[in-house]
Amino acid sequence: MIQLYNVSKRYGAEGASVTALDDVNMRVREGEMVFLTGPSGAGKSTLIRLLLCVERVSSGQVLIGGRNVHALRDESIPYLRRNFGVVFQDFRLIETRDVFDNVAIGMEILGLPRKDIVRRVGQLLEAIGLQERAHASPRDLSGGEAQRVAIARALVNEPAILLCDEPTGNLDPQLSREIIQLVCEVNRRGTTVVVATHDAALIEEFGARTLTLKGGRLVQDRDRADRGGDMLAGGLDLSRLDDPMAEIE
Amino acid sequence: MSATLRLISFLRAALRLMRGSPWLNAVSVLTIAASLSLCGLFAMAFFNAHTLIDELGSSLTIQVYLEPDTPEERIGQIEARLREHEGVKRVRALSSEADRERNRKLLDPALLEGLDDEAIPGQPVLALELDSSLASRGDLEALVHWAGQIEAVEAVEDVAFGAERLRLLFAVLEIIRSVGVVLSAVLLASALFFVFTTVRLAVWGRRREIEILSLMGATPNFIRAPFLLEGALQGLLGAVVAIVAVGLLHLELEGLVRDVYLLQVQPSLLPPGMVLWLLVGGPCLGVLASGLSLGRAFKV
Ligand SMILES: Nc1ncnc2c1ncn2[C@@H]1O[C@H](COP(=O)(O)OP(=O)(O)O)[C@@H](O)[C@H]1O
Ligand SMILES: [Mg+2]
Repeated sequence: MIQLYNVSKRYGAEGASVTALDDVNMRVREGEMVFLTGPSGAGKSTLIRLLLCVERVSSGQVLIGGRNVHALRDESIPYLRRNFGVVFQDFRLIETRDVFDNVAIGMEILGLPRKDIVRRVGQLLEAIGLQERAHASPRDLSGGEAQRVAIARALVNEPAILLCDEPTGNLDPQLSREIIQLVCEVNRRGTTVVVATHDAALIEEFGARTLTLKGGRLVQDRDRADRGGDMLAGGLDLSRLDDPMAEIE
Repeated sequence: MSATLRLISFLRAALRLMRGSPWLNAVSVLTIAASLSLCGLFAMAFFNAHTLIDELGSSLTIQVYLEPDTPEERIGQIEARLREHEGVKRVRALSSEADRERNRKLLDPALLEGLDDEAIPGQPVLALELDSSLASRGDLEALVHWAGQIEAVEAVEDVAFGAERLRLLFAVLEIIRSVGVVLSAVLLASALFFVFTTVRLAVWGRRREIEILSLMGATPNFIRAPFLLEGALQGLLGAVVAIVAVGLLHLELEGLVRDVYLLQVQPSLLPPGMVLWLLVGGPCLGVLASGLSLGRAFKV
């Protein structure tokens, strides 16, 4: 599902550049749950940005579902991103929209009918126990609630891959545990999940496969709960990647 | 998916944007309204003055007075020469008697009491009717010059040319035109600037939202649309305000003309065509400014 071959990423101009990733090779299988760990500055966020094509590799290749994503034309990038759900440390909920409309964003992007949106968002809010707060402002949510809403938002279109960058960074240990439990549940239903976190205790507790980065290099790959799976692109929808106009209809 | 659904969701987003900065939006709408109403008013003033000139132009004549004893044959020659000029539509020859008759009608009957017929002035006249399509002041000056030349012709005594009023009107028209163009340009530019700025600030205020939308797979056009719509809505609101303002002015003016000057004319500041122009022009102005403001932003 995700493959990296000799991936390096340097920021800044030649000469004065910072090496964020250094010759990283890894693969994540479909349906897998992976922790990406390492100290601050190890390159975790950079790796996630490369997957989302926010940044381009300096050298090497990133393959999603067997496709070299950095060979994609700019117009195709939005369609690549629709295969991912993303969750961040700081939630990044849109404050001018209420909880319901935040979760609905992904479906609005796809231009789905309002009645489908109402049904699907309702289901998700119920699943995260926030149906009562549908019309609350994100400002009025606690950290744990906000992150649950962010996860619901990421999952609204049932993406093939869920990427979480320090999802528990702003939460206390109990809430962190609940969030990771939620993410594990998502993974059990078939979604491939990558969680970047430097919280070793959390990883210890959940014990999934763990990739450790240090100074941009992949230093450890501990696979304790290999679920199997294959390298095929099953579950990914890459069919529209080369047809940016398809969405406009 | 249907375009209507999409439009509705973009509209909701645009309204959210406008609610986000109500004051700045109000300023944009008002500058658009001010510039549109002034453009409209200048256009109407210009248009009305043009109509007036057309009317005056069609009633414009040059009277060529000939010496009283000019022989018929000579009159015919001069008439033929005058006819050659392309600005001349028609030439009417009046005999001394006809001229005297015309003058008698112009004079007060009381004044004519017991007056000898011979005492009333009368001489052969050639009345030239001019082509009403005097496009510009340049044409008018050419005619004035030409009329001066007629005076040099033998047997021509005097040439009367009622061009003074027309000259004044042309001057007024030129002032309206230059002041109008400059003022309208300045106002339109400031309206563009205000919309440009509101949209810039809206984009800046929403940069995190834009980033999220982009990460979730929104296309650049999807992200741009609400901002363009915001500009369009500002333009539309501005146009509506302008129409109401000019409409009120129109009613005021109509009342003034009727009640104070007791005139039966219908001044028109807001013909239906103008309303349409404003309703189309406002949103176009807004979208243009917004588009300029967005530039090539959101390139994934
Ligand atoms: N946009 C950027 N420009 C320059 N350097 C960056 C940028 N983003 C990250 N870096 C650098 O790259 C390295 C890896 O950063 P990051 O991927 O954020 O690490 P992590 O998420 O593991 O803390 C750090 O040294 C950081 O300073
Ligand atoms: Mg990071």
